[in-house]
Amino acid sequence: MKIVSKEDFLAFVNALIKDGGMDIEGVKSKDGRFVYGPLESASELRLDYDVTILPPKKYFLPQYETMMKFDLADPFSMKKPENQKKKVIIGMHPYDIIALRQMDSYFLDTDVSTTYLKRRKNTLIIGTDPLNVSEKAFFGIMGTGEVHSGYDLFITDLGDRVAITIGTEEGGNLLRYESKLRDAIDVSLCGSTTCYPLLSYDQLLQYENKLRDASPVEVQKVKAIREAASSKAMRGLKVKPVGWHDLLEKNYDSEVWKKQSDKCLGCGTCTLVCPTCFCYDVQDDINIDLKTGERRRTWDGCLLRKFTELASGEVLREDILDRYRHRFYRKGRYLPDRLGFVACVGCGRCSSQCIPDIADPVNAINMLFDSSQHVVKESLMDTHTIRTDLSKMESKDGDIDALHVPMPATLKRVEKLTEKETLFEITPDSGKPLGHTPGQFVEVSIMGMGEAPLSVSSAPDGKTFEIVVRKVGDLTTKLHTLKPGDKVGIRGPFGNGFDVDSLKGKNLIFIGGGIGIIPMRSLINYVLDHRKGFGKVAILYGCKEPREVLFKDELAAWDKLPDIEHLRTVDKCPDGVSWECEIGVITTLIPKIKFDPKSTIAIVVGPPIMYKFVIRDLLKLGMPEENVIVSLERRMKCGVGKCGHCQINGVYVCKEGPVFNYKDLKNLPEAFK
Amino acid sequence: MKPKVAFFDFASCEGCELQIANLEEVIIDVIKLVDVVSFREVMKEHSDDYDIAIVEGSITRPMDEERLKKIRNKAKILIALGACAHLGGVQKLGNQWTSKENKQIVYGIANPKDIDDNNPFFEKPKQRALDEIVKVDYVIPGCPINKNEFARVLIALLTGKKPPIPDYPVCVECKKKENVCLFTVGKVCMGPVARGGCDAICPTYGNECEACRGYVSYPHEKAQTDVLEKYGLTLEEIMNRKTMFTYRYIEAKKEGEKNE
Repeated sequence: MKIVSKEDFLAFVNALIKDGGMDIEGVKSKDGRFVYGPLESASELRLDYDVTILPPKKYFLPQYETMMKFDLADPFSMKKPENQKKKVIIGMHPYDIIALRQMDSYFLDTDVSTTYLKRRKNTLIIGTDPLNVSEKAFFGIMGTGEVHSGYDLFITDLGDRVAITIGTEEGGNLLRYESKLRDAIDVSLCGSTTCYPLLSYDQLLQYENKLRDASPVEVQKVKAIREAASSKAMRGLKVKPVGWHDLLEKNYDSEVWKKQSDKCLGCGTCTLVCPTCFCYDVQDDINIDLKTGERRRTWDGCLLRKFTELASGEVLREDILDRYRHRFYRKGRYLPDRLGFVACVGCGRCSSQCIPDIADPVNAINMLFDSSQHVVKESLMDTHTIRTDLSKMESKDGDIDALHVPMPATLKRVEKLTEKETLFEITPDSGKPLGHTPGQFVEVSIMGMGEAPLSVSSAPDGKTFEIVVRKVGDLTTKLHTLKPGDKVGIRGPFGNGFDVDSLKGKNLIFIGGGIGIIPMRSLINYVLDHRKGFGKVAILYGCKEPREVLFKDELAAWDKLPDIEHLRTVDKCPDGVSWECEIGVITTLIPKIKFDPKSTIAIVVGPPIMYKFVIRDLLKLGMPEENVIVSLERRMKCGVGKCGHCQINGVYVCKEGPVFNYKDLKNLPEAFK
Repeated sequence: MKPKVAFFDFASCEGCELQIANLEEVIIDVIKLVDVVSFREVMKEHSDDYDIAIVEGSITRPMDEERLKKIRNKAKILIALGACAHLGGVQKLGNQWTSKENKQIVYGIANPKDIDDNNPFFEKPKQRALDEIVKVDYVIPGCPINKNEFARVLIALLTGKKPPIPDYPVCVECKKKENVCLFTVGKVCMGPVARGGCDAICPTYGNECEACRGYVSYPHEKAQTDVLEKYGLTLEEIMNRKTMFTYRYIEAKKEGEKNE
């Protein structure tokens, strides 16, 4: 630990600001509260702040961000002007540093976000000990009042002096200040007091010498400040973070959720101000010239009703109770299961900014604990069990996030199947096959209109692939106007498809409802292409009405195949429409075929209501749960497990799904809602 | 062929049209995209041949109703412009009382016989939003409208997209701007239930949100009432907040109760 006088420290900050080579951001006051913002002078820096309105996540995942700019005439020459200047953020409290480390884990452990990595690599963190503690903070008991890594420099304000701990080599270099400023002064500004009023050339050269080692008394003082902050931030939390996982697991249906969420405004504030909420939404804007546009990203939050809205207008977490509860489970169970840490750092921002005062984790956890009949078991998961090692990661070239770059592809064939659904055969311009497994999906983009996850409907062979698209939103409507030769963007394939190898040699029964046949067809065609590799095969397909039946020619061809059983039904058939197959709901087809439930695998894809009844009937017949395979193919969103929309409880449909084994889903309350 | 656009106004201050006239450099781009065939506030010419009708103001008199229906018949697309057309405006407040009471409140009772006269301007003076009379295709909400949003809606229409009117509370944009929450400085605000899209302009300048863009779909009204109560508002003050721009919702509920 080093010591420098306060005056010299502020001179150092001013030198950084005046240098202009880096953006110097720090905590300053705004209307009586505190925010991170660009520093114009060291005198603006408020090392005595308690908490900022927004956490520093805004520097790494900005509130609004242009992900790429494009020209509609040449949509795949996307650009992104990114400020390449290095940033220094001064004044991060330990809990925010730990939250940032959690953010590292979220964006870098799997499916690396290259823009995030670049920004992170391009930013120096100067941490600081809290001198004042916000009334709602509880970082003391969350174990986030102290950090030993995750910063480049860490400072403690001792009044007339500042104690400095060097965290990284780069931090040390910053302190030595071997930068452009010295060169600049050498050349022209030597001794100028008007340009560098607080830091003379002499001071600058001697800066390094002004740092001295801390005395034992000073080390003691720093420790005392640190301990005082943590001890002020306890708030009587009754269950430590290591117990949250278990407490939440056993109290999913607690009355507490209803009681609290009744008061919820659904305004989203708790998620927006949270340093460990990272969900976002992506949208395309076309500019007023109608020739250029941008793909933009903005913060989203699971408390907002629209967060779980599907293109069809259906809202998956319509009840505020589900949305309110989800936030706590994501912090205390879902992210811990996924990444190994409890995703709450006790900053108290949600509690101090929630108007009805229901967002406070301390209150919620205590209420849950008080009403729970169970003993809380501790887990190994704490707030700072983070694996990500940023120093070992190399930032890559390119300003557009590799996770979100669409690759050009050409429509080869467009075939209208029904009034609303059209089949598109697509050739990736790379010339390489898509390389998907049956059941996987791709993201299809039209610049300016947006992007949508769509299941691949063809078997995995050949240089092209097929999707079948229902006209519902902006993108799919536009897609329906395209012709062969037109370009679309694709990302993928994504997700977990059908495990074809495990199905080999097995008897299979396919049960498809409505557009559920689309992803299922990729597997059916694979099976038919490799017919000898599988046992008995039956295909049951149901639609609401004859006019909704997809792939009519293929269905007719299946009828003629001697080695499969194939039945079709419609819920109802209007007068005057010809229909030669069954009438009735899909479940009425099940008793019409003979199969041994024990040795047959059922592949079920359809609307939620269908799952409920079909699976019930299959289990009744004695089919083991693990023999039922489903696809939740309506629930995908960004494809890469980052935007957060695809979550059903803790499962990311984009990553772990859309294909699931029923036994892995049956205990997820949100799975078939 | 550029689509032909006509502007119309009913009971309103015409401030929303003024916002469009004030689009400044963007107006040139707008003119490149559409043919403005009628816009009383900025031009003399008028034509009854239009594709898109952009209508400001609430509907008060029978003659207004007739005129609006004619506009609807001629237009392929009808857009309600601003809070008056969207929600009935502040003048919708008047629907709480009978026309007699309104006249008394406004003009006093010096001449009691005047109250019963048949002046056509007082005929059935019930304030209605456009969609209470004709089909409205799109709404550009706000008092006044956000002129950038006007441009975005126009772009969406011309490129075959659904106009992007947000359906989240004002709090969302307010938080993203890192404003100090007005509730924490002794003020109260309709932001948690009011429809965003205005970039939280009022709270950003320290003014309480009055929900001029209406509510989000499915607002948590009870929770909002509880909060206003908790922050010390009397029932009357709460009702004032809820009727300023959003009396429409209360009226709809009352109508619903009547029909049950």
